[in-house]
Amino acid sequence: MIDETLTSPDALVAFAEGLAKIASSGGGAKALATHLAGALNAAVLVEDGEWRHVALAGSGTRSMPPSIRDLVAGALPNPDGFVRLELPGEPHDALALRIRGGDAPLGWLSIFSNGGGLASRQGAIRLAAAAIAVELSRDAGGGKNRRKSFWDRLLSRSYDDPIEAKDDASSRGIALATGYVAVALEAEGLEEPSAAAKFGDLRRIALETLRAGSGEIVVLERGGGFVFLCPAPLEVDAQNVRTAATLIPRAATKAHFGLKVVGGVGRSATAIEAYKTVDEARESMFIARRLFGGSRVMPYDDLGIYPLLLRGGATSEELRAFGQRVLAPLRAYDEKHQTELVRTLRLYFDVGQNVKTAAAELSVHRHTVFYRLRQIAEISGYDLDSAHDQLTLRTAMAIDALNPR
Amino acid sequence: MHSTHVNGERKAPSKRDILRIAKEREVRYVRLSFVDILGIGKNVTIPVGELESALEGKVTFDGGSIDGFVRGEEADMMLLPDLATFAVYPWTAGSENVEARLICDIATPDGEPFEGCPRTTLRRALEDAGDVMAAVRAGLEIEFYLFDLDADGAPTVRTSDVGSYFDSDESDRGEAARLDIAKSLEAMGLSVASAHHEHGAGQHEVDLNEGPLLATADALLTTRTVAKHVAARHRLHATFMPKPLETCAGSGVHVYFTTSAPGDGAAADEAGELTEETLFAIGGLLEHAPAFTAVCNPTVNSYKRLVAAWDAPIYTAWSYRSANALVRVPSPQGGVQRIEVRSADASCNPYLAMAVLVASIAHGMRHHLLPGDPLLGSTYDLNDRERDSRRIRMLPKSLRQALAELDTDVVVRGALGDHVYHAFRDAKLEEYERYRRAVHPWEREAYLRVY
Repeated sequence: MIDETLTSPDALVAFAEGLAKIASSGGGAKALATHLAGALNAAVLVEDGEWRHVALAGSGTRSMPPSIRDLVAGALPNPDGFVRLELPGEPHDALALRIRGGDAPLGWLSIFSNGGGLASRQGAIRLAAAAIAVELSRDAGGGKNRRKSFWDRLLSRSYDDPIEAKDDASSRGIALATGYVAVALEAEGLEEPSAAAKFGDLRRIALETLRAGSGEIVVLERGGGFVFLCPAPLEVDAQNVRTAATLIPRAATKAHFGLKVVGGVGRSATAIEAYKTVDEARESMFIARRLFGGSRVMPYDDLGIYPLLLRGGATSEELRAFGQRVLAPLRAYDEKHQTELVRTLRLYFDVGQNVKTAAAELSVHRHTVFYRLRQIAEISGYDLDSAHDQLTLRTAMAIDALNPR
Repeated sequence: MHSTHVNGERKAPSKRDILRIAKEREVRYVRLSFVDILGIGKNVTIPVGELESALEGKVTFDGGSIDGFVRGEEADMMLLPDLATFAVYPWTAGSENVEARLICDIATPDGEPFEGCPRTTLRRALEDAGDVMAAVRAGLEIEFYLFDLDADGAPTVRTSDVGSYFDSDESDRGEAARLDIAKSLEAMGLSVASAHHEHGAGQHEVDLNEGPLLATADALLTTRTVAKHVAARHRLHATFMPKPLETCAGSGVHVYFTTSAPGDGAAADEAGELTEETLFAIGGLLEHAPAFTAVCNPTVNSYKRLVAAWDAPIYTAWSYRSANALVRVPSPQGGVQRIEVRSADASCNPYLAMAVLVASIAHGMRHHLLPGDPLLGSTYDLNDRERDSRRIRMLPKSLRQALAELDTDVVVRGALGDHVYHAFRDAKLEEYERYRRAVHPWEREAYLRVY
């Protein structure tokens, strides 16, 4: 059902205020499109002047094209600037409006109604187009668009050579950091009317929290959320990004009643391999939602075996690397201090986590076993009382046993 | 500190209360105490008949004669007693000359707070940090040596005590003196958490519970004074010199900060994870540590303690367990999370040291400075690569280096204020220069025969 009141002046004013609020909180084209889609009960597509996808919002049962490029080719707009889109087999309205910044064409806004009646809501569509125009012209006006396309290219692995990537970056005014850590975030359970505003809030809160680090953070809209690519030249920067990211849900709860956040953090990667950290961040977010109940941001490093299970078909190389990564801190400690932490852990699992039996097998007092288990937890970073962490350690042990070093 | 028995939870008694207590306890003299910029305790003693006038802030002294204070005609400074600090010296109780003390702020002749007063400097730093640190409290672990006196009553570096950590020997004079020190501190209203033998022979430690920050700085000053007086009565010398013996552990002051009151659980969340406030506080401390070292470790001798031995911190690292990290975060006790700063020593000016620590923490909280991950194991094992990748810096190795670090840090300098910063820096550069020119016994031993 279309909101009948959207045709009244008061409803239009309220709609316009909604747009302004989104724009002022940094919501971007996607959030503006979501606002329009919610008001019209329609799907909304935004494309830029070069037919690149900018945003898709709303939903419906009808089919819609990935781009309206072919549909508007040669079509003549009616006097008020709208183009009626003819879609075979679709009974409902579809309209497109050119987005303009002054006289310059900046892109297209197209609306695919689920119930018709778009003609009487052209005012709302014009207002949304004007607001989106501001966003697109802002992007196109400075170097932002050029910068954004660099990151799109980088993450789609279009550069074979790090030097080529670096040269292209510097020609666009981007100084690449030696390392990056990605943070993927989505707001959970958003109700349509406030979704756009909360989307903007999430972006703002995340940037404020992550800004503790150094350098410019690249913000990418992905799916229904964001990926923040944070410069992390040193290990400590990666650590701090991870810590800051895990603080975001609390900051969001404090700042915005009801804004729940789920997310993931990738490992540190070089610029040319930034796609890896982005993929890891998004996988971690997925795992955080599916296995840990959401409302938290989880670092890839803390997820143990789950990312490998998620990917499916991990190579034996990846499995071996995983086993070594999990056990490496314990091995290093054993080597340096002549201790038996790895052996103790293996035995502890072998005897069904019975400390008394483990102590007898190791010929030590059971307090020694408790002490070692505490050391193992601290050094490995895995909690032996957590079923998730146990799974990781047990799997690492099994992989290690099957693949002798 | 008569009004309550909890460290610093002191509701100031009224002037009338103080006059009454002085009469009841038969006080004859009152010491009006303050510290100079170098942290040396000073006092003006008045007969009890002048107490009422002193409580009105009518006692003045010649500030021109105090290091780092004022010059020329501005010399007459006023002593404004903090009524909450009134306490009778327990070792004088029952004698003919019962003494009490009041810790004072210093004011200019027209009654304005004097910008060169260290206690006023701390008050200002606390006021500046009030927006983020209203709930922050601090406790102390204070280490010191008790040495024998020679036949003439002069201090030696000998001790007849051969104990180590937590040892107990009833025949040990140090043991008896330490107990007396703890008793005296309690009698003066400080909340002593524990007192025990430390690592070195003759080395002891007194631990004070958390209290408000100004009261905690007062407590360090009080402990230094009390320990010296009480030790002397046991024919011992209490020294807070950071490193009196090359081959034994040095004496430090560990400052414990809590960012929350007991029970509100704000410093650690349900999962036992540190809250952002705690992390930011640690971040601020690590960021400013090289600069605040000059203030927290202000003597040439301080840097003989900050070496890779006896668990003295040498890097800007933090850890949960490592005893030689600069900042250690021990397991929460009673739901309260503490942050332990382990570098300072008792040769510091307690007020200036607290001011720079507070400013560092507040800066971390305001600017969301994160400290990286905690370090596992001993910091002494860190290699260059690990330090670089974690951006861990070395603490200054000399007073000269520390002063250079201080010069570059606007936050720490800002906490001191211009007057104190310049007076402190000038005095310390001169001290370092005197040390640099001195020919030490080590040099004669190493070179006299060889060259």
